[in-house]
Amino acid sequence: MAALTLGAASAQSPDLLEPERAFSLSARALDATTVEARFAIADGYYLYRDKLKLSLEPGALVAAPVLPPGKIKQDEFFGKVETYRGKVVVRVSLAAPAPGATVTVKAESQGCADVGVCYPPQVQKIALSLPAGAGPGPVVEFAPVKKNWFK
Amino acid sequence: MRRRTALVVILVAGIVALSAGIYVGRSDRQPSDGTQREEAAATLLGLTLPDVAGKETPLAQWRGKLLVVNFWATWCAPCREEMPEFVRLQAEFGAKGLQFVGIAVDDADKVRQFAAEIGLNYPALIGGFGAMELSKTLGNRLMALPFTVIVSRDGTIAHTQLGPLKGDQLLAMVGKLI
Repeated sequence: MAALTLGAASAQSPDLLEPERAFSLSARALDATTVEARFAIADGYYLYRDKLKLSLEPGALVAAPVLPPGKIKQDEFFGKVETYRGKVVVRVSLAAPAPGATVTVKAESQGCADVGVCYPPQVQKIALSLPAGAGPGPVVEFAPVKKNWFK
Repeated sequence: MRRRTALVVILVAGIVALSAGIYVGRSDRQPSDGTQREEAAATLLGLTLPDVAGKETPLAQWRGKLLVVNFWATWCAPCREEMPEFVRLQAEFGAKGLQFVGIAVDDADKVRQFAAEIGLNYPALIGGFGAMELSKTLGNRLMALPFTVIVSRDGTIAHTQLGPLKGDQLLAMVGKLI
């Protein structure tokens, strides 16, 4: 095969989305206390429930965010495993209202593609302004850092 | 603005945009030219990583073997699923010079537990973020798992694979390269 030809290494790689596109994160402030984070998950991809963590910086949360139930699968090694497909929406509430404050929504996640590949754990942040008056605020999409053309 | 000036501006803008598009396209391409691959292969063979017991293990000891370096993790289900087949091939072709090496981006404890469960008969080394960065220079642009690199006996890269490596495909390559 390839080994007998100098420099002609073969490579195989499935067509994969960048993780920010496979697991597209957005957030909006519902009011001066509560933020809603949403992952839009592309077809053929899934997130692990036990790897999903949502938090706000700065700000003490009233309680740990409640993660919705996922689809349960029996895994040979890990036992019961729960995954999300399509979308997952999580609300995160501050202990005290902070009208007009800027908070950073921090989402930690880890997911895989059905073709048989897993992405490394991702940490994404979105800056949001909590409304001064009644909410909700606009939806803010996660924007990856632009590539440096001169690198 | 005069018509001719407007046309010149549009033309120049078009050329700039086109060049920028070509530049971005080129810079987004995977490192695939021969020299970069050679360097990455040399870096891979020059690597020393701890095994599950913490013992520093140099990959250079396997120069001259048909080396199959598999980047994996216990948290990656497709990774775990392909490993029993690697164990079978290691048993069958080990004496002929085939050497699997697993580089786990994981906790040593979890790796040790899984290795015991499947009767792992090849080294399980522990790699951190540095290992994932190295896999990127070998062509793993998204740093996803499993990622497998087959290094020929002469130290050059014969094949890279993102995603599971099917038994029959691997067997065919081993047969030709061994």
